Amino acid sequence: MRETFPRALSPSRRPEQIAAGHVPGLAQQALRTHALTFAAHGQQVQINVPALSPEQLADVANTVRKAAQETIACMPVMDVLAAIDRTIAHMLDCNNPERPAIERQLSIISGYDPEMVRLGISSCLKTFRRPQLLRFLAEDFADPGVLDDFRPGPSGGWRRAFGPGLLAHIWAGNVPGLPLWSLVAGLLVKAGNIGKVSSQEPLFASWFARTLASIEPRLGDCLAIVWWPGGEQALEQVLCRHADVFKVYGGDAAIAAWQRQLPAGKRLLAHGNRLSIGLVSASALDTRQARLVARELAADIVRWDQQGCYSPQVVYVERGAQVSPRDFAAELAGELTGFQHSFARRALSTDESATLAQWQHGLELSQLRGADTILLGQATDEWRIACLEQAQAPSPGALNRSISVIAVDDLEAFLDTYATKQAGHLQTAGLAASPEELFHLAPILARCGFTRICALGSMSTPVPGWHHDGRFSLLDLVRMVDIESSAVQAGEAFAGYRD
Amino acid sequence: MTDVNATGNHSGTRPASGLQADLLAFMAQPDSSEEAFNHLALRLFAYQFQHNHAYHQYCRQQRKTVRTVRRWQDIPAVPVDAFKLLTLSSTPVDECARVFTTSGTTSGSKGSHYHADLGIYDYSMQLNFQQRFMGEHRRIRMGILFPDESAMPNSSLAHYLALAARKFGTGDSACFIGQDGIDVAGLCQAMQQAQQDGRPYALLGASYSFVHLMDALDEQGLRFRLPAGSRLLDTGGFKGQSRALEPAEFYRRLETCFGVPVSHCINMYGMTELSTQFYDGGNEQQPAIKSGPHWIRTRLIDPASGVEVPHGERGILVHCDLANLNSVSTIMTEDAGFAVDNGFILEGRAQGAHAKGCSMVMDAFLQAVEQ
Repeated sequence: MRETFPRALSPSRRPEQIAAGHVPGLAQQALRTHALTFAAHGQQVQINVPALSPEQLADVANTVRKAAQETIACMPVMDVLAAIDRTIAHMLDCNNPERPAIERQLSIISGYDPEMVRLGISSCLKTFRRPQLLRFLAEDFADPGVLDDFRPGPSGGWRRAFGPGLLAHIWAGNVPGLPLWSLVAGLLVKAGNIGKVSSQEPLFASWFARTLASIEPRLGDCLAIVWWPGGEQALEQVLCRHADVFKVYGGDAAIAAWQRQLPAGKRLLAHGNRLSIGLVSASALDTRQARLVARELAADIVRWDQQGCYSPQVVYVERGAQVSPRDFAAELAGELTGFQHSFARRALSTDESATLAQWQHGLELSQLRGADTILLGQATDEWRIACLEQAQAPSPGALNRSISVIAVDDLEAFLDTYATKQAGHLQTAGLAASPEELFHLAPILARCGFTRICALGSMSTPVPGWHHDGRFSLLDLVRMVDIESSAVQAGEAFAGYRD
Repeated sequence: MTDVNATGNHSGTRPASGLQADLLAFMAQPDSSEEAFNHLALRLFAYQFQHNHAYHQYCRQQRKTVRTVRRWQDIPAVPVDAFKLLTLSSTPVDECARVFTTSGTTSGSKGSHYHADLGIYDYSMQLNFQQRFMGEHRRIRMGILFPDESAMPNSSLAHYLALAARKFGTGDSACFIGQDGIDVAGLCQAMQQAQQDGRPYALLGASYSFVHLMDALDEQGLRFRLPAGSRLLDTGGFKGQSRALEPAEFYRRLETCFGVPVSHCINMYGMTELSTQFYDGGNEQQPAIKSGPHWIRTRLIDPASGVEVPHGERGILVHCDLANLNSVSTIMTEDAGFAVDNGFILEGRAQGAHAKGCSMVMDAFLQAVEQ
């Protein structure tokens, strides 16, 4: 949870109270809640999340599984899609009376700049309108009808895709909107869904679930939004027994802890923490382009203050162009300063601030020891740039608008040497390069371990149907059932119309 | 305080000799004004700026010089990591009498704190120790739960405890940690003796050693009721060497095990990078307030901006220790806490930033790479 109030300003007023969670099948009176308190921008909110007993969680799991089996599993996928579309349309609607309150609450919960939250919510929701939802289906299923019925396969036979009876989502982090990706995927494959929200952002998933339940009441019992503090074993074991597939977001330790608890045969789909980078080719570094590129990169750094797995932490800039890597860093500094005025950085906790300071001290000390390094950014700036002349493999910085600009002679040659040390923790490469270079670099980036290549400026807005960490968002969830031709052919012998 | 004298071999030819004499005189005063502290801190800064080459470079990098630093609060604070990467000494290191090194438990690399001689360190330790730990005693029988100085010549804590035993311990004081760990039998015998004699006893050592000792005593079903006036001193926290206990539980267990009231269980907060220690006044109240003598001052800052946080808010501790004559007076720690009247509350090491989202952070990255 976020650091609470500064000691000197302990709350005298009772904070605004908001109920979160969505627990079908439980009487409201039987529900105990737990208060999560957040403070930012001089305001406080208290989010009351359900605090379930293991028995209650089991009841909720059974209710959701049964409801899903009886309703969503029998609905045509296009009807499910339409219900999601109407829900998202309602959440996007600027005349929706809930919207201003939700925006304000989410900015207090997450600490992000209110305007960044407003734009971020809309940008995220826009990814889940009807045309985009169709794209989700098309990415994974040549014929989405396989989710409704047995359909003929190209090599004979018939097959149908079944979503899990109960899909568990374990969300992490404070980036608003993140739960939608897996929740929408779960609904599109007609699963029952039970999602555990993060203590750092418990609201967004609840908002979606409640809106869906009011817009399409038949689906209201097909998903539950719950909470407990991570590591609560009694509850986690109930979930492990009841759910079929687990979608877990979080650090390596959290993922490993879930993996250990899972009975054999149950599937865990993990999205661990990832490192993303930017790449700027010499072809993008003439005086006019460099500035635009720097602005796009700055936007990626500023959005969610680099907390996303897709946020760049290092950018490699080619030497030899009109604009040198150091000049590019200066352009970037200007753009980050500009963004500082339109989107202020989240207030940092002491621990985050200490991490930033340690990162900076490390660079300053290496500078004193002779490293060819320059640091940009004054104490009062909400960003820091380290310009390094010595190429090095990507590694995390200190987040919260800190970035290393690393000069390289040749992107391809650099990536080639790095590709031999392939690692599993890389994700997005934001690229500013000509189309020829793009397709030339793409296979090398793939060998390095990157799973997504996009334009700078688009790093933090993945497209619908993207392969998150290289995986399928829908296909990974389903179980395919084949009817082989032999069964039909053999059946002919037993048909009433047989000769 | 007749037995508290500045010891060590400080030769009159060193550029620091005049300053050292003034520092010792300053420390000998019962208290100091802000103005006097400021004056001496600036003199010390000027000395270090001139003679400590690495620090000079660091100050230049921070765009601070003797001309721009007007208040002790403006003296550039070096991060503790600097002791690992730079040679911070105003005296050529081959002329230094002693170097204390950090344990290097977290990063693997060790920091070095060079002391031209230990005169001022020892003086600082003794004045403060007498006042904050010894209470009514001039000498007390001591048991030390830490390897002795010969086993760990570069440990400032080993030196501190050896000095405590030498200057404040009775002749039958002893160290109870050897190569095979804690000599539980020997220590029990000493404590039983103390109980019989009715002479107060002091047990001093690393916090984690107390945990190991209490576990061993529990196993054997042993409990002590040390005579009135006895006291305990723990330091350093658990450092992953023993299981971590909440402070309230730790001190309650100490009281149960040794029969020393929590008001006489003192925690010392020290750092290899400093020459002065902080103490609390017993642990009846949690969290206990730490404070130091008048020759060390502590500020709480927001580390990224370097700005002092408002009184009472959480920040990172920066200490200005006038006893740090040879290295650097002002150190930025990695410890978080907040200021209260009469001192500060120490909350422990700032946690590395966990990403609020799904971004990879350095600690996790290093773990992933190592696997």
